[in-house]
Amino acid sequence: MNIEPTELEKAVLLKVTGRMDAENAHEFEEACERWITHGSKHLIADLDGLQYVSSMGLRCFLSVAQKLQSASGSLILCGLHGLPRQVFEMTRLIGLFPVFDTTQQALATL
Amino acid sequence: MDAPVNRLTLPAIAGSIAAFSQFVRGGAAAAGVAESEFGKLDLILEEILVNVARYAYSAESGTVEVAYAPAGPRQLRVEIADSGRIFNPLQANPPDLSRGLAERPIGGLGVFLVRNMVDSIAYRREQDRNILSFVFPLDGGPGA
Repeated sequence: MNIEPTELEKAVLLKVTGRMDAENAHEFEEACERWITHGSKHLIADLDGLQYVSSMGLRCFLSVAQKLQSASGSLILCGLHGLPRQVFEMTRLIGLFPVFDTTQQALATL
Repeated sequence: MDAPVNRLTLPAIAGSIAAFSQFVRGGAAAAGVAESEFGKLDLILEEILVNVARYAYSAESGTVEVAYAPAGPRQLRVEIADSGRIFNPLQANPPDLSRGLAERPIGGLGVFLVRNMVDSIAYRREQDRNILSFVFPLDGGPGA
């Protein structure tokens, strides 16, 4: 899994590519926590390149979103498709996040 | 399971999951399971094997055996067995999926996902082993 951050004016964009599983999911959570500690309120996860996510990954998304929400911020998901999208839908997690097709659409709401 | 059965035994650690996936994918391909289903198969195996790695054995390390056999057209029957303490992952309460973000519990999603992606999932305790079995893919797969 690769996580490429871009600091924008209103949010930090994290481009996640590859597979997020039990062994590496913590890397995503740690990356988000570094930005939260840095003072970021809104994180946008660009998941267009995410090919696979397991329940450990879901836990990390949930944990990060909960932390941001309690600080009046948000974790926004973009480009979610394929099996990862099905996994978010099956577990009804998809309704808990702002979800957009593109990062442009996400940024327009901030 | 009836013959022919293929078996692979490895240490019950997260690091073994990739090899088990490769192993079962081979069986799935041979059984004619659609390749588009292989990502789900990886997910099912990971969720079950992570639970085994985490709960089956305490101090000492142990092994886990994954076995498969054809189970009808384009379907595979898979069994995952460990010799750890009695543990039935199907007994846990299902997660509450209705809660909002702040109240959503973090755990319990792994088994839930597995149940949603397989047929005939069952647990049995046999000769001091936990055995979880299922048939994949669900409903015979796409186009069935």
